[in-house]
Formats: sequence, C-alpha cells, structure tokens
Amino acid sequence: MTKAGVGLAAVVLLAVLIFFAVSAWSRQPAIAKPSVQPINFPHNVHVQSYKIDCQYCHADARRSEYAGLPSVERCMGCHKIVAADKPEIKKLAEYAGKQEPIPWTRVFKVPEFTYFPHKAHVRASVACQTCHGPVETMTTVAATTGPSLANDMLNLVGFKPAPPALTMGWCVECHRRENVTNKRQAPLDCVTCHH
Amino acid sequence: MNRRDFFKIVATTGATAAAAGCQQATEQILPLVVPNEQLVPGVAAWFATVCRECPAGCGVLARNREGRVVKLEGNPDHPVSQGALCGRGQAAVQGLYHPDRFPGPQRREGDALKPVSWDDALKTFAEKLGGVKGKGKTLAVVSQLENGSLGALLDRWTQALGGRPRVTLEPFGYEAIRAANRATFGRDAIPYYAIHDAEVVLSFGADFLETWLSNVHYARGFARMHTFRDGKAGTFIHVEPRQSLTASNADEWVRNAPGTEAAVALAVLKLMLEGGQAADRRFGDAVASVDPRKVAEESGVPLETLQNVAKTFAAAKPGLAIGGGVAVSGSHATATQIAINLLNAAAGNVGKTVRFGPDSAYGKVTPYAEVARLVQAMAAGEIEVLVLGSGVNPAFTLPGGLKVADAIRKVPFVVSFAGLPDETTALAHLVLPDTHWLESWGDYSPMEGVNGLLQPTMKPVRDARQMGDVLLAVGRTALGTEAGKGPLPWESFQQYLKAAWEPVVKDKWSEALSQGGTWREGAAAPAVAVSPRVERVDAAAAKLDGGEGLALIAYPSIRWYDGRTASRSWLQETPDTMTQTVWDAWAEINTETASKLGIRQGDVVKLTSPHGAIDLPAYLSPTIHPGAVAVPIGHHYAPYHLRLKYVPAGSASANPMALLPAAADAVSGGPAFLSVKVSVARTGARRPLAVLQATHDQDERELARHVDLATARKEALGGKKLHEAHLSMYSEHEYKGYRWGMAVDVDACIGCQACVVACHAENNVPIVGRAEAAYGRQVSWLRIERWAEGLAAQPHNMFLPMFCQHCEVAPCEPVCPVFAAYHTEEGLNGQVYNRCVGTRYCGNNCPYHVRRFNWWNYEFPSPLEIQLNPDVTVRQLGIMEKCTMCIQRIVAGKDHAHRDEKRAVRDGDIQTACQQTCPTKAITFGNLKDEASAVSKLANAPRAYHVLDEIGTRPSVTYLKKVVRGGHEPEPRTGKGQA
Repeated sequence: MTKAGVGLAAVVLLAVLIFFAVSAWSRQPAIAKPSVQPINFPHNVHVQSYKIDCQYCHADARRSEYAGLPSVERCMGCHKIVAADKPEIKKLAEYAGKQEPIPWTRVFKVPEFTYFPHKAHVRASVACQTCHGPVETMTTVAATTGPSLANDMLNLVGFKPAPPALTMGWCVECHRRENVTNKRQAPLDCVTCHH
Repeated sequence: MNRRDFFKIVATTGATAAAAGCQQATEQILPLVVPNEQLVPGVAAWFATVCRECPAGCGVLARNREGRVVKLEGNPDHPVSQGALCGRGQAAVQGLYHPDRFPGPQRREGDALKPVSWDDALKTFAEKLGGVKGKGKTLAVVSQLENGSLGALLDRWTQALGGRPRVTLEPFGYEAIRAANRATFGRDAIPYYAIHDAEVVLSFGADFLETWLSNVHYARGFARMHTFRDGKAGTFIHVEPRQSLTASNADEWVRNAPGTEAAVALAVLKLMLEGGQAADRRFGDAVASVDPRKVAEESGVPLETLQNVAKTFAAAKPGLAIGGGVAVSGSHATATQIAINLLNAAAGNVGKTVRFGPDSAYGKVTPYAEVARLVQAMAAGEIEVLVLGSGVNPAFTLPGGLKVADAIRKVPFVVSFAGLPDETTALAHLVLPDTHWLESWGDYSPMEGVNGLLQPTMKPVRDARQMGDVLLAVGRTALGTEAGKGPLPWESFQQYLKAAWEPVVKDKWSEALSQGGTWREGAAAPAVAVSPRVERVDAAAAKLDGGEGLALIAYPSIRWYDGRTASRSWLQETPDTMTQTVWDAWAEINTETASKLGIRQGDVVKLTSPHGAIDLPAYLSPTIHPGAVAVPIGHHYAPYHLRLKYVPAGSASANPMALLPAAADAVSGGPAFLSVKVSVARTGARRPLAVLQATHDQDERELARHVDLATARKEALGGKKLHEAHLSMYSEHEYKGYRWGMAVDVDACIGCQACVVACHAENNVPIVGRAEAAYGRQVSWLRIERWAEGLAAQPHNMFLPMFCQHCEVAPCEPVCPVFAAYHTEEGLNGQVYNRCVGTRYCGNNCPYHVRRFNWWNYEFPSPLEIQLNPDVTVRQLGIMEKCTMCIQRIVAGKDHAHRDEKRAVRDGDIQTACQQTCPTKAITFGNLKDEASAVSKLANAPRAYHVLDEIGTRPSVTYLKKVVRGGHEPEPRTGKGQA
C-alpha cells in the first residue's frame, strides 16, 4: 500500500472511531416504541369520553419539574365503583390491594443532562399536546422522540427536515418561534436546561 | 467548515455502522400508592432539626427531594447557627448514606459480627439485662452529650435497671474552664462568651473558629466583631505555640513556649494592673509573685509584646479573654483559666462579654475522672453489661494510657448503638444500630434557653431502630412490665418526647417542629461576682512527662473533631487550610528542629511517649514552636469504605490520643492533652503527603491583597473607587436582564472550608482519593488558598476562596472547539457538559486554574448516590467542569420570582451554596446590573479588587482586601508598597 493509502485508511479508521463515539453520545434519548404497559390504560376514553383534564391526573405539571403520575389511590377514587368488573380495572384493584405502585413503562424521556421543567411550560400555557402529541386520541401512548438516523442523513444531503420531537433542535425552534411570533421570553441560553 | 458540518461528515463516514444504534433499556416510572400532601415530586421539602455531629447543636434545615435528604443548610432562625453550618455539618449526609453503615443488628460470633434479627438481638439484650438487674452496680451506660429527652430517658432506664449513673462521654469537656469558674465565680458552668460585642478578643489557645464550644456561632460572632465595616474593626490577639487556623486569623499571633500560657496570662494581668489601666485593682494578690520579665524569658514572648497586649486589652470597651486548646488542658490548665477569668474581671468584662446564664451544654459533660473510674471498674471486672450509645467511640477517643480497649475486653457483654463500624464496635458483642440523627426524634439544648427539636427528615436508610425505642422495649422486657405501666410506660420514644415537650409547647407542637425548637432571646444573665478571696495563682509551666523530646500538642481538628467525622470522604478530600493536606494526618515539626533531627517533609517519623507510639509523616512548618510537635486528633482511615481505593494499603490509623497518659489533671479532673514529651525519630520510610497548594508565597502576584486599617477607613469614608475596567479587543457583552456576580471579603474569610464541603454537597462534586489528589486531579470547584506574608516564622495569612471568576473576557471561551464553554446572557461562563469533548484547552488557558477535568468516571459508592442533587448533572469521564455560581439555584430562583410571584428576582432571593453556609458571611451573590444590590455595592467599594486584574479578564467575582490592623501590618516582602 502506498504511503497515501495508509494515510487514507488511517483517516477513515479514525473517522469511524469518532463516529462510534459521537453516535453513542448523541443517541442517548431512546426512540420509543409503542409502549407495553402493565395495565392497558386508554387515554382516549378518559380524555374524550369522560372529559377529564390532563392535570387532574398529572397534577404536578403546574408546580413541579415533573408532571407526575396519578397515585394508585387517585385511580381507585373513581374505579372503586366505575367499571370495577372490567379485567384491566381488576388489575388496578390488585395493585391497590397489595399497596404496590403500578410499574408503568416510561414513554417520554429527555436525556439526563437536560433539565426540563413542566411548570414553566404549563404556566406559559403551552398545551400538553405540543410536546406529547395527540395523547387524547391514543389507546396506548406511543411516541417517536429523540434524534433519528434518517433525519441526520436527510440533513447531510442538504434537506432540512423538521427535527423530531424532544430533540434539542425541536425545543430551540419552538422557543425561537414563540419569541418572534408571540413576543415571549423563552430562554435560549444553554445553561437554562443543561446544568 | 463549522462545527455542525464537521459532525455531519464524521457521521456519514460511518453511516453503515449506525444500523445497530444504541437503544436504551425500557425504564419504569412508579407512582405513589398513597399521595403525600407534603411532598411534591420535583419540589424540595424542608425539615428543621438539630445537627448532632458535635455538641454545638446548630439548627439545620434538611432539604428533602422525593423522600431523600440531599442537602443540609443552617437554620436561619436558630440562635446558634444563624443560618450557617460548618464543613462537618455539611458532611453529615455522608454519615447518613455511609456505605459502611450496619445493614441491621449484628451479634458477635467468634471474631466477627454476624447479622441477626431484631427480635433475637433484643431478646439477647433483655436476657443479659435481666441477669444484672439488682446485682449491684454492674450495668454501665455511656452516651454522648445528651441533655434532652434521650438523656432523661437513659437516666431513668439506667436507674430502673439498677445501673451505675450514666456517663456522658465527650473527649473535649472543658473541665478546666468549669474548675476555674468554680474557683473564681463560684459557678460550675461554661458561660456564653459574647465575642460579637467585644472590641478586643484575647484568646489563649481557644480555637473558637475550629472546634471550641460552638465554632459556627463564634465564627459568626467573630465576623461581626472583627470584619471591617463602616470604618470599624475589632482586634484579635491569639496566644498559642502553633499557628492554628484560629491563630492565623489573629491580628497578632503570639507564639509562646508550650505550657507557659498560665504565666503569660498572669503576666498580662500584672502588667495591666501595674499600668493602672484596669478598672479593678483588687487582683494584685493573685499575681504578686509573677515577674513579667521572667515570664518573657520562659515563654519566649518579648516583654514589649506582653506590655502591648496588656495595653490593648485594658483599653478595650469591652474586651474579652478566652481560653481553650492546650492552654487549658494540662497541669497548668486551671491556673490559665483563673488568670483569664481575672483578666476579664479586672477589665470589667464579666456580665458584658462573659455571660453566665445562657450556659453551654458542655458544662454537663461527665468529668473525665469519672470516665477513668468507669474504665478502671471495667478493667477490674466489676462491669457485666456495658451499653454504649451512638456517637461514642471510647476505644479511639480516650487517652491511650487508659487502655480502654483492654478494659472493654474484660466486660462480658458489650452492647453498642453505633451506626458505623469503629474501634469500639470491633469489641462489642451486640450492635443495635441506632438511626442517624437525620432519621430520629429527639431534642438537644446547646445552651440554656435554647431547646432544639429533632425530627426524622426521611425514612431510615438501613434497618436501624432509634435507641430510645429499643431501650423502652428492652427495658420493659427485662423488668417484666407492660406498655403503659411500670417505670417505662411509653410506647415509643416519640411518645416520650412529645410528653416531655407537652408542658412547654402545649398545642404548638407542629409550630415548634417546623421552627426547629423553642428559644428565648436575651435571657437575663444573673449577676456574677468574683469570689471575695482571690488566691495567688500558680504560674508554673505545665508538667510534661517523658523527659527529653518535644512537647506533644494534640489538638482537635476542624474536620475530624474527636474522630467521629473522619469517615466522611468530603472531609478527607477537603484540605486542611493551614497545611493544604488531604487524606492524611501528619506530625507538624518546626523546620529548624527537623533539620537538626535530619527529618524531611514526608519522612515517616515515630513519635514515642511513655504511653504509646505512633508513626506519621512529617510536615515541616516554619511557624510551630521549635520545642513542640503537633498532631491533629481523630484522623483515621479504618474503617473506611473502599479505603484501598482512596488511600494506599497499609496506611495505619494514627491518633495522638494513643500517646497520652491515663491520669486526669489533678486540679480540674480533665484529660491532659498537653502532658507528654515525645521523642521524634525517623523510621526510614517515606509517605509524601498529598499537599494541594505547592507554595504559600504569592511572590509579587498580589492574588490576596491587603490594606491597612487607617487607609481602609479613609477610603471607606471618602468613597474612593480603586479599580477600573481594562480595555478589551472583544466586543462588549450586553446584558438584557440580570448580570450575576459575586463578592468575597478576604477580611471576613477565616479559611474554615465550610463552603468547599457545601459545594461538594450541592453540585455532586466527586471525590478522587489520595493518589489522584496528589497528581492535582481533585475536582472541587472551590478551594481556599492560603497566602502567607511577612516573616516566615510569624507570617500573616490571607485566605482566598478561589473558584471560577466568570470573566467577561474569559480566556476559556474562545479556545473551546465545540462551544461548550461560552458566555451566557446573564454574564456567567457556561459550561455545557453534553457538548464538552474534553480537549482541556479551556483548563490550560484559565489563569485562575479553576477548571476541573474528570479523568475517570468517579463513583458514588452505594448508597451515597442517593445524596446526589437531582437538579445537577452527574458528570462523566472526559468532561471539564467548574463553578457554575449554582446555576440550578439561579434557575430555581428566577422560576420562583417570575412564575410564582410575578416579579423580578430581588436581592437575596438566590444564595449560592457556598454563600449560604459561610459562617462569616464572606461571600455575597447577586445582580451586578442592580446598583442597589449588596454585590454591586461591594464590587464598587474602595477595598474591591479583581484577582489578576492586570491580565484584563474582567471577572464577575470581586474580592475585598483584607484589612490589617495598625501596627501589625505585614511587612512587604520586597519593599514594594501595597496598592
């Protein structure tokens, strides 16, 4: 092999190695599949048929970093009577009877080096669906979030596709848009979320 | 090519390899079964309690996130701590989550402790108790200083079971102060010393900025008395053979020969009386035989100095003389303290700065002579059951001459309530781990009139039970009584506590709990007079056994106290301010003495007294008296979790207590910490110390600056502004909203390191261990630099807290290839961890050397990871990090002001962790754009300067020069004048 050939091979090898590092690092948020949940909880029934507000169950969203999940006790508040004979509700009653938490599978997650406060967004009247999608229509919550390879490839060949949900580009785009169109003061400083 | 393109190209090159990808495992989220109305996930709940790391009893607030305590802060309403906390208090959470904590009760089987169920353990204990019940005084109970409900219950329990009177074991009991107060004032008590009200403080060895009585409280008081404010500043004179941290904060440090403190104090009194400066001249008899000239000769303190001290002290309105450390421990101890009492009485300070009434809890410690008697009884086989409360470790903290371990071995059944394995649990037959004080109910009164209340701030981390509960249950079984009947009717200790408090708080129990206790301000102090007969005080120097050699100064250290906090890794990694040493103990020897003995720094030396010997590396110091060797008390490696990882194998524990005699001081009955001479000999081995600051000579860099009092006063009144901003080749930053900045008063900083530990706790700063620290790889974001000026043997020290200066023209920012170091909209130097690729260019370009690199993935041994602050990212290998000015607190403060209260952030809304815990309020944080903010005023004060101002970095952190008192100005090293 010529000297240049060795050099080229070395460059390619180095690039591949760097790629592995970058790929592992940049793909930290999971690309969520339709979730498998311990209880088949239909958001659509609760939101559309019974008109229950998101924050009735996710009650911490307006005052905390986390939106919060309803306690088992809160579920049982209604389901002691409502649909108590259905098999899924019996599973719920079983958890309540054993005084055990329901091990829900997590669907939405930002990387651990990201600080995302629900409170700030709820107080700024951002609809839950803006980030979480049309959860009110879903029987099982699913979401495609985080960076995707397809997106990277499209970006590379010059297309500018919209960034997928829950990626930083997507957050920042919304903050910028809101600041221009609605004269808001959504922060754009890195350390607001990364500290 | 910009950064994004670079990454795109890199990504394409290996696109094929991406197919595999990295998928995260599914994660579960668990809701609460029953919601707790007080706890909102993601929002901190605060619980008031009392710090029990030492008997000072500071009020603390515990920050509970999602049911776990993650940080402690001083309770601002509590009269002792007044919002501050020392490093030991900050590190208490490491005791709570200590990896070595007993997982549950243990019973001795052969040489080892084996886990046992609570039922079996309690049954064994009750049987043994039943066996000794009514068999004379064969049951002994030893606890730490418990003067509240637990103490009362222990006494009741001991009495019901027919045991010996309970022994309250505190290695530092200040018995000489009590003995002297009995002699001078007829009161067996340790009074409240109003340091904050004094103009001149004259201390004989009292390390009140480190461990003496109540170090946080007295540091707060010292700051009020001593820090330059509105043209005024008090004076502090300290007499000690060694330049301790407290001594180095003195305007005048007087180095005396060890053991001559009584003579020095009496000479000062005599000179004061001779000068006619004293208000009261009745005390001539006491000092009749004292010859100041002879004292000057013996103590090595020049007569002129003695005269000046007498003059300064007598002129103070009011002054305050205090005694502690080795000055009031030894055969001269009581005489020293009587002389101090007479000094106070002669100057008219009693009732003003010496206040009986709000007496210290230390006055209730069992005299050491009693403790020694108990040990003798154990050795004689008179004790059958020994009960040791949590917080006591007699096998380690008592003088080696007592041979406590041998005595304990003679006791057939030893029960320990310690939560962590130590030298004493190694001898116990049964270990019933007590809950940590952060998990416990209780009360503690650090001084008369202040009653602190403890409440559980979280569920117990381990399978521990509160000592009070165990005693009630076991006591009833042994006595054969039932709950509700007999001498121990209470169901639980909580019930007992509530019953005890009921008459005091009535229906205000919840209020008392949320406040952290009850206290009354300004309790009337009873009039105290000097007893009519003032006898002649013996000015003889302390008697030291051991013949030839150096006087051993065993001193309590600010980090270890008596050794009970030595298992906290934050404290191990926080340097001792004076020596800047981490992860080790040392023998401090005068440089000249060492050269005579052929000892170099880091040589392991054997210190031998008639009572024992220890090996320690030598630390050479130009300041310590040539006739003394000083060793900090309480350092030990073992037992320490994963110790082989953090310190080299074979590092033996080295406590100078092993060198001390059994005998109590004849006059006071206290232990004699200054009582032996030790021979110092090289062993041939070397153990270089991990010293984090290579030099204390700042050369001409003027990092820490000072100004003399007269100039400071003139400028303060004239409002002169000294520093101007340098020109910059970069475009100016514009700050639309806030611009954060800090100010550090070098005149107020006492170098106590509390801020350093608080920063570890708040910002998830990892520890690196001894070897890594020796390489200079420590991660702490904040360090206290000590800079010495003047004569080598008598330097004036300045303490410079150094952390990221958040420069406006920051050298770190332009060199970052990935834009991880950048300037934020609010004037901070942001550091974006997820961008950082670890080139370390920023660290190399930082002139302040405050950027820290993660050379490894540092671990937080389980369950210490529970302590991690959920608001701060845990950094991984290859990441650069540094002080963020507690950005998470800024974000939270803005969130609270903007969203909850619909207003801008006000001055004082946001406190950084270091500022919050500072006992002397040396650190201020705030908005530099607001001209009325405290930080702006300080930044524009005449004393303000920037470190390395001349390189034009324009830091957002302003320092205020130390004010040196007239006449005691440090000599400029090169004759160059100060700005």
